[in-house]
Amino acid sequence: MAADPTKLKVAKDLGRPDILFALARRKGSEHVFVGGSDFKLYDVDLAAAKPEPKAVGEHLSYVTSAALAGDDLLVSGGYDCRLNWWNAATAKPVRSVEAHTKRIRMVVASPDGKLVASVADDMACKLWDAASGKLVRTLEGHEALTPSHFTSMLYAVCFSNDGKLLATGDKTGRVCVWNVADGKRLAQLEAPGMYTWDPKQRRHSIGGIRSLAFSPDGATLCVGGTGQIGNIDHLDAPARLEAFDWQAGKSKLVLSTDGKHKGLLEQLIFSPDGKWVVGAGGGTAGVIAFFDIKAGKVLFQDAAPMHVHALAMNETGDKLYAAGHNKLLVWTL
Amino acid sequence: MRNRDAYRRFVAACALATFVFAAVALSASIAPANNNASSSAAPAPAAALEKLQPAERPIAVVVDHYIDARLASAKVQPAPAADDANLIRRLTLDLVGRVPTPLEVQEFVASRAADKREQLVDRLIASEAFADHQVNEFDWLLMQGQGNLRGYLTDAFRDKRSWDTIFRELLLADGADKESKAAIEFLKPRMKDHDRLTNDVSSLFFGVNISCAQCHDHPLAKDWKQDHFYGLKSFLARTYENGGYISEREYGLVNYLTPAGQQREAKVMFLTGRVIDMPKQAEPDNKAKKAEQEALKKLADKKLPPPTPKQSLRRKLVDTALSADQRDFFARSIVNRLWARLYGQGLVNPVDQMHSGNPPSHPELLTWLARDTAEHGFDLARLMRGLVLSKAYARDSRWPSTERPAAELFAVAQVRPLSPNQYAASLRIATSDPEMWSKLADDKTRMQRATSLANSARSWATSFAPLTDNFQVGVNESLLLANDARIWSEFLSDAGDRLVGRMKTIKEPRGQAELALTTVLARPADAEETQLLADYLSARKDRPLEAARQIVWSLLTSSEFRFNY
Amino acid sequence: MQNPSLNRRSFLGKSLGTTAAVAGAAAADMTLLNALAQPAVAAELKKQQKSVILLWLAGGASQLETFDPKPGRATGGPYRAIPTSVPGVHFSELMPKMAARFAKNTAVIRSLNTKIADHGGGATLMSLGRRDEPSVRYPDLGAVVARELARADATVPDYVSFYAQTEGRGSAVGQSGFLGARYLPMFLTDKSKPDNLERLAAVSDLDHKQRADLRDMLSKRFAEGRDNAAVGSHNQAYARVRGLMASDKLFDIEQESQKMRDRYGPTQFGQQALVARRLVEAGVPFVKVGRGWWDSHGENFETHLELVPELDHVMSTLLDDLAERGMLENTLVVTLSEFGRTPRINASLGRDHFASAWSTSLTGCGIRGGAVYGKTDEDGQKVVDGEINAAALFATIYEALGIDVTKEYHVGPRPIPIVDNFAGPVTEVLA
Repeated sequence: MAADPTKLKVAKDLGRPDILFALARRKGSEHVFVGGSDFKLYDVDLAAAKPEPKAVGEHLSYVTSAALAGDDLLVSGGYDCRLNWWNAATAKPVRSVEAHTKRIRMVVASPDGKLVASVADDMACKLWDAASGKLVRTLEGHEALTPSHFTSMLYAVCFSNDGKLLATGDKTGRVCVWNVADGKRLAQLEAPGMYTWDPKQRRHSIGGIRSLAFSPDGATLCVGGTGQIGNIDHLDAPARLEAFDWQAGKSKLVLSTDGKHKGLLEQLIFSPDGKWVVGAGGGTAGVIAFFDIKAGKVLFQDAAPMHVHALAMNETGDKLYAAGHNKLLVWTL
Repeated sequence: MRNRDAYRRFVAACALATFVFAAVALSASIAPANNNASSSAAPAPAAALEKLQPAERPIAVVVDHYIDARLASAKVQPAPAADDANLIRRLTLDLVGRVPTPLEVQEFVASRAADKREQLVDRLIASEAFADHQVNEFDWLLMQGQGNLRGYLTDAFRDKRSWDTIFRELLLADGADKESKAAIEFLKPRMKDHDRLTNDVSSLFFGVNISCAQCHDHPLAKDWKQDHFYGLKSFLARTYENGGYISEREYGLVNYLTPAGQQREAKVMFLTGRVIDMPKQAEPDNKAKKAEQEALKKLADKKLPPPTPKQSLRRKLVDTALSADQRDFFARSIVNRLWARLYGQGLVNPVDQMHSGNPPSHPELLTWLARDTAEHGFDLARLMRGLVLSKAYARDSRWPSTERPAAELFAVAQVRPLSPNQYAASLRIATSDPEMWSKLADDKTRMQRATSLANSARSWATSFAPLTDNFQVGVNESLLLANDARIWSEFLSDAGDRLVGRMKTIKEPRGQAELALTTVLARPADAEETQLLADYLSARKDRPLEAARQIVWSLLTSSEFRFNY
Repeated sequence: MQNPSLNRRSFLGKSLGTTAAVAGAAAADMTLLNALAQPAVAAELKKQQKSVILLWLAGGASQLETFDPKPGRATGGPYRAIPTSVPGVHFSELMPKMAARFAKNTAVIRSLNTKIADHGGGATLMSLGRRDEPSVRYPDLGAVVARELARADATVPDYVSFYAQTEGRGSAVGQSGFLGARYLPMFLTDKSKPDNLERLAAVSDLDHKQRADLRDMLSKRFAEGRDNAAVGSHNQAYARVRGLMASDKLFDIEQESQKMRDRYGPTQFGQQALVARRLVEAGVPFVKVGRGWWDSHGENFETHLELVPELDHVMSTLLDDLAERGMLENTLVVTLSEFGRTPRINASLGRDHFASAWSTSLTGCGIRGGAVYGKTDEDGQKVVDGEINAAALFATIYEALGIDVTKEYHVGPRPIPIVDNFAGPVTEVLA
């Protein structure tokens, strides 16, 4: 039966003492690796009646992201600027690389598992050979400073389903689309609505592009974050998605959750058939929303039980795995 | 960290101030000037009261009786009476909050009526501007620029409500009807902090700043000192705001820690030591409190008033404070505050330190005035009328030769800064076309015009230095007057209805100078200063309009204009 | 052009003579006029002129992301702690520059417990050094320092306050209370110059000066026989107008080289810090630079990732610049907020208001470099050693400046100690 976002239901809810930022799911399984504010990575079998997280290893600071390259290679990144490779099957460390000069924000693996991409506050996107851990290429196209002279941050990265494209998005709302094969920049897009700089009252910013996703056909690029906030002391604006026809360099539409559901979209994932894209995140409370890009509307939105920092989906698109504030969660739809 | 023996001095200082309560009732009688603390709260001896000036004497006569007696014993010859122009300026500022118009000055100076001063005072007090000025004064006194009590005060002073009525209405307001909605603005902003409310009520209505007695780490404090603070707090601690209404709970014990760390339950006790016997009321348990909270939230959501208590302790406080044997205490504070306003310093100074360690300069006078005020229904207009008709009020403010006598002798009038409202209003009146007034039909129309001009300048008040203890003018004010474009356009405009506009019609520098002097300073010009200004104008024949503006500016910013002298 | 009206002085000669004495008497309390008449003494005094620059981190900066990191604890957040130039003392990794120069002239107090955790109440407490009281209007830190350190005839402002927009002028406490309006701050927000320092085009410079002379003559006539401190302050406020107007260049950073401006950086905070240095250099005793808004209920770490490096850069630049000019030993630079932030990290990765255990720093004049006073528990939840309140901090500031902390003011007969409850200073951080 096809997934129905309106039937969204919490199937499993695991309380956690920590804040989870990283989530990687082993294909075709209920096995996830999570990591977060206690600096550690855990292996969790969500199929178990009472899942018991097993420690895999640790970073020197918050674990911000993790990805599985193929079935057995787990790559994690953190605020310690390091990328750590692990054997997912044995939970043994493979290598540790001082990958960036500043905090690593996100790590993704190419669909074929051969490449790993990482982004960090040094504003570089680095492509790594998953198997050897060798740096393949560094992609540089994001300004180090914001227009208001503060250091910028490079939060988000994603591959297209065919693995040929890579997109990166930063704090000020700039998006770059790259050709993976030769590292050429194919497009540069601007989503300034994601940048929440307050020039007068508070003189800082808290938003930025936090998530990216290509449609299955690679034609549409979705960007997730939050909308313009009046008082940036809080994540107090509806969550925001902007969709681009990236080849034409054009913004197609902007969709926002309603006033009840606020915060950042921390992760975006397209359904396998491309009919919708799900975004999850939050502020003080969690938010999950399903967007129909073609129809230009929000299909369904709801409060998530926690602020979600990372999201994964099963192959059939009817199950979601979420990691976030003091919780690990499974949804069915 | 270092321990300091200075702490001991602090303790001593505090101990002095906390004598307050013991002696308050005593000082409500006729404590002689040098009588220091006594912990007895005995009522005034009847014999002492009998020695006071007779009750039926006019206020002004009694004021001069006691002031003159003290001057005589100090062997100080007071300053002569202020001249008529000086007097009308002082009275007009004090009673209606602005300088007089040139026409008002002329008429007063020219009048040969024996009772012209009484006529003037009665005319000013009868005007609407008198009520408006009281609104400004009491708004500052009670709210210090916070909150929004002006609506209530406007009604109260236009209705000529008495001070005890105002006290009652402010303390008992619940917000249930329109009238009371305006009056809750006194309590509302104070609902967050009951300690502060307690001290405000004590200080504003009884002249007793009791914050010292709150001091929990006071090693020398006797427990009754804290008893007084927490006793008064007990009257107020049950009061709360809910959904824009004020109400009271049926319970609400006030506990406090003694210096020794003992937990104590406060008695419901007025500042004079009068204890209100209250039936023992059990505190509800947490469950009941939670249910109450929820019920209140529902009412607030529906904008409905909270339940009324069977008995209100705030009402008990008001009834106690105004009862025949306690009300002198309440009367003394308002007498002293109005005296301070009109004479430049209180009979007791500071006005919120009315305790036996700080005796009045004229104890019998204060007692007589308090009794008189209470017996005449706390009529503030009547009291002020009496106070401004004395000889002591009307003295010259100069003391040219020897050292100025102590202020508390009231031998010479004090130079007092204008309040921000007085200064703003006066700027507007003094820069109006002086010829305008005689063209208006009658006195009533002239008063109304003056009032509307004064009110039109009220937004300027926030720009000027507020009246504080040790008042000083800062550079923000002088820079504003010197360089602000709006000052220029509003007060130095050469439009036809303005002073500078009128000056333009005069050719001769001396004439211009004299007009500016008499209009702004509200008195006849003397030859020397007229010459000074005329010379200034003559030197600027190429820019006569600018020159005219500049001399008006120099008058508006002069100390003579900035002060009530 | 010589104006005849000035010659009227001779015509008023007699009265001017007596009124000058009157004005002097009124100002006697705060004047150093006699000493200043001698150039050598004046120069010496100027050298010793002590000043305070208060870097006010409006909204409440996090102690955990600045001076009291708790790395590796659940409350610690993602940032590492880095060693400072004092062995064993660590700051947040967001403050590398301050960490490197910590031993030179900075002391940190990690043990403030100030109890009040709402913006208005906290700002009032930390500005007054005591709880507000309805019946006494207390002066704030700037007013007290101005009162104690300002020169009566100063041609520069006594107290300048760059307040943060979000505080608003209402709650950016700037009150001189019973010390009088003389010590009120000149307020600025995003403008770099105070209001009313510039002459209106409609008045020529000569007229501006001579109308002030005229005003002065009229006022002195009035003051005859009316010796009164309030009248004295009125005349003094006008006497200072022209000097203050001439100080407008102090607010103009165009007067600094491009290199110097680049050093402080392009942000408003950096530029205002540079103006603060110019002001202090010219003898202004107290400058508050409000940097807002730190109230990171959401995204605390992203907020501090912008604001702390800016603070680190601007503050260390300011300190280096003052030191290079030989001014740091007479200038006390203080960082302070209305409170700190909760160790607990909330669901939007924010930290909330927290007054129970937070930090402040003191640098320069009278301070022992590299000193750390007080200690919080391993999660930063409470003070475990050396707890102090606002009054003790104020005593420390006064003592560092050489102001007698046992001094009392008098409101009428009521003595008011300069430091609430006569709290003693934290001698451990004093040189």
